[in-house]
Amino acid sequence: MMSFTFLARLLDARHVCVTRIAAAGGAAVLLGVAPVPASAQITFTFDKRPSLEIHDLLTADLRVKSQSDFRDFPEEPGRDDKALFDLHRARVGVEGRFLKRFDYEVERELRDTPRPWRDVYVNARVLQDLDVRGGNFKIPFSLDQLTSGMDLDFNYRSLAGSFLSPGRDVGVMAHGRLLHDIVRYQTGVFRSGGDNVSASERTDPQTRRTYAVRLVVRPWGGSKSRKLLRSMAAGMAYTNGDLPEGRNSLRGKTVPGDPFFDPLYVNGRRQRIGAEFQWRPSSVGLQAEFIRTRDQRLRQGMEDENLPDALARGWYLSGTWLITGERKKDSIEPARPLFRGGIGAVEIAGRVEQLHSSSDGASASFTTPRSPLIAPRTDDVWTAGVNWYLNDYLKVQANLIREQRTLNGQPIAGLEHFWSRTLRLQFGL
Amino acid sequence: MHGAAQSEARSADALLDGSALNDVWIHVNARDWRDLHAHYLEDTYYPVDFEWQGVNVRNSGIRVRGDTTRNGQKPSFRVDFNRYVGGQEFLGLDAVVLNNVWLDPSMIRDRLSMLVFRAAGVPAPRQAHVRLFVGASREYAGVYAVSEEIDEKFAAAMLHDRDGYLFEFHRQNGNPWGFEDPGPDLGWYVPRFDPRTHQTASVATLYMPVRDLVEAVNRARPSELERDLAEYLDLKTFITMLAVQNFVAQTDGLVSGVGMNNFYLYRYAGTRRSMVIPWDQDNSFSQIMMPPWQQLEANVLTLKIWSEPKYRAMYLSALLDVADLAASGWLEREARREYDQIRDAAYADPFAPYPQERFEQDQALVKQFARERAAIVRQYVTSLAPELLAARRR
Repeated sequence: MMSFTFLARLLDARHVCVTRIAAAGGAAVLLGVAPVPASAQITFTFDKRPSLEIHDLLTADLRVKSQSDFRDFPEEPGRDDKALFDLHRARVGVEGRFLKRFDYEVERELRDTPRPWRDVYVNARVLQDLDVRGGNFKIPFSLDQLTSGMDLDFNYRSLAGSFLSPGRDVGVMAHGRLLHDIVRYQTGVFRSGGDNVSASERTDPQTRRTYAVRLVVRPWGGSKSRKLLRSMAAGMAYTNGDLPEGRNSLRGKTVPGDPFFDPLYVNGRRQRIGAEFQWRPSSVGLQAEFIRTRDQRLRQGMEDENLPDALARGWYLSGTWLITGERKKDSIEPARPLFRGGIGAVEIAGRVEQLHSSSDGASASFTTPRSPLIAPRTDDVWTAGVNWYLNDYLKVQANLIREQRTLNGQPIAGLEHFWSRTLRLQFGL
Repeated sequence: MHGAAQSEARSADALLDGSALNDVWIHVNARDWRDLHAHYLEDTYYPVDFEWQGVNVRNSGIRVRGDTTRNGQKPSFRVDFNRYVGGQEFLGLDAVVLNNVWLDPSMIRDRLSMLVFRAAGVPAPRQAHVRLFVGASREYAGVYAVSEEIDEKFAAAMLHDRDGYLFEFHRQNGNPWGFEDPGPDLGWYVPRFDPRTHQTASVATLYMPVRDLVEAVNRARPSELERDLAEYLDLKTFITMLAVQNFVAQTDGLVSGVGMNNFYLYRYAGTRRSMVIPWDQDNSFSQIMMPPWQQLEANVLTLKIWSEPKYRAMYLSALLDVADLAASGWLEREARREYDQIRDAAYADPFAPYPQERFEQDQALVKQFARERAAIVRQYVTSLAPELLAARRR
């Protein structure tokens, strides 16, 4: 652990002065929150990131996340050209614990002026197997969506994880681990359908609650004899919520971020069901997921009749191999970081995935927002990547992506094959 | 059989020839219908099924249209048959306009004017009246004038040309324009001439020939107008169109106190030659005593026509041709027929902005105009050029 005095030595006198003033100010604020005994001890540490600890009352870790992308997307007819450089993520946050039983996190995205807040929640350990979380956080659905953006194996989440999962919302969730960590559960109720939906749905005053449940089983989670199988996990998740009437169907997009699903008129309930699998034997990672969504379209026909449900589904299968031998986990820690006697950790990765929309029913299909039958659209994507973890803070990811899009089972004219190249420079503290 | 396929076997005349008052049924979601009225200032498309005489053109699109007639009580519509289904047609048409006849208490002025244009040999869109029904309950939404759009198909059928450049003219408030040369800046033309074909062509491709036309009009010698403009404009048709407009006393057309309005410009493919096409003539059939040369001096081109004896004679002769047409009784009969056709429907129109008495008063005015205008125009022409009428009588 790096002490505050050691940190101070790394900085020049002026910075130390600024740091002390900031620390004193921060401490004053925190001390104002809760009564602190006179004997309380305030310590600063820098173990991977700056941390503040006030005796056993409160801890606060500063988090900084930055992702800068260089992208080479193909030109598409009718679409705006994408800028070569994209500051994909620029976040600061604080996370920690207070009064021993409560965890908290506050995170702000600096690029997003209209909706800057990301995770803002308090988590309470109520019982040994029960935690309760309240605030704004991700609705428990989709392994890929729930994985931190800093820990992804690819530059972009899978299309299914990105566009078929609900994302964050304000809610309350019970979660915990049962049967010696063989079963993990999350279940909650949320104010609306998440922030990963169309802007019209997000801002619709008719929007109502969404319920979610997720169960993950690790059959060999506690096994000492079958170490290779210990990380194997499989799970199911389900959400059910009210849809505000309007052109509020799920927004499917392409890899470059252009609309792919047509916005449809929906009304009724939205249900999602997901299945997930993850296995990380040693330095290899395997992951798969399947998501299916169903939006009701009650009274949305030309004659106000009920229309068949709008369906969307997506899946992916991905694999990674840390060729430098580190153990695969969420946050990779290079055994031999760059500039400290090694080259860091190098990982190769591949993913195949699909995003698809259609409706119940068969035969001829039409393409209006009130069509009984929706023209089936499919985006098949293959991604190959190399991840280079320079040290605990820096990561470089390069991806080569191929897309093939079809409408009614036929390649969309002029849009048969797309090759995209992306390079991400990531810094995380 | 699919509705669009059924309609292929029939001609658009069945809907647009005006021989009967047709019923059109727009199948539209109730919420969309409410939204469309609430947001009538927007051009948002809503999906509809368009039904006429048992033919159902599914997955069409509808949006509110119009400028001064745009309102949320009884909006005008554009029905686009291939908005959602590429290549879908109805009676060979890509789209139709449902005009709310909002500013015309008689409801027939535009249709009657277009009929006169066509009878005089000027390409003009076909129109008829329909009763519009909407929604699952087939609610009556009033009398509308259905019109073919001026588009590529119109150009192919009426001008026998394909792939030309078609523009809808938009008058700019406070900036009346009557063919004056605005200078070399092509940007001046952009808001005024809205391209309806070749929308993605460059500004130079679209507007340099329009600028050439305007410059040619300003450069042309009055005595050699036909020769100087031969490359740019069908002058004879223009003069005929001008004569029809002034016969029907359209006060918001090619000539008016506030500049040109209500026309399309079509440039033939591969040439610099253009044709002017009339649109929205609902200010006509009112000023029965209007001199048929009113405001001609307010427009560069019409002033040159009027000031040169050769072309003035051509214009007056065209006026007499229209007067002959009307004097045969045809125009009044047509006005009466249209009145009989729509009267009951107009009475029942739940969204008409005028009471029945006003409808009757204006109908009487239109019929009187149709009956008496020919004699009045002849008197005007005789007062100016008696030899023309005399020669015609010989």
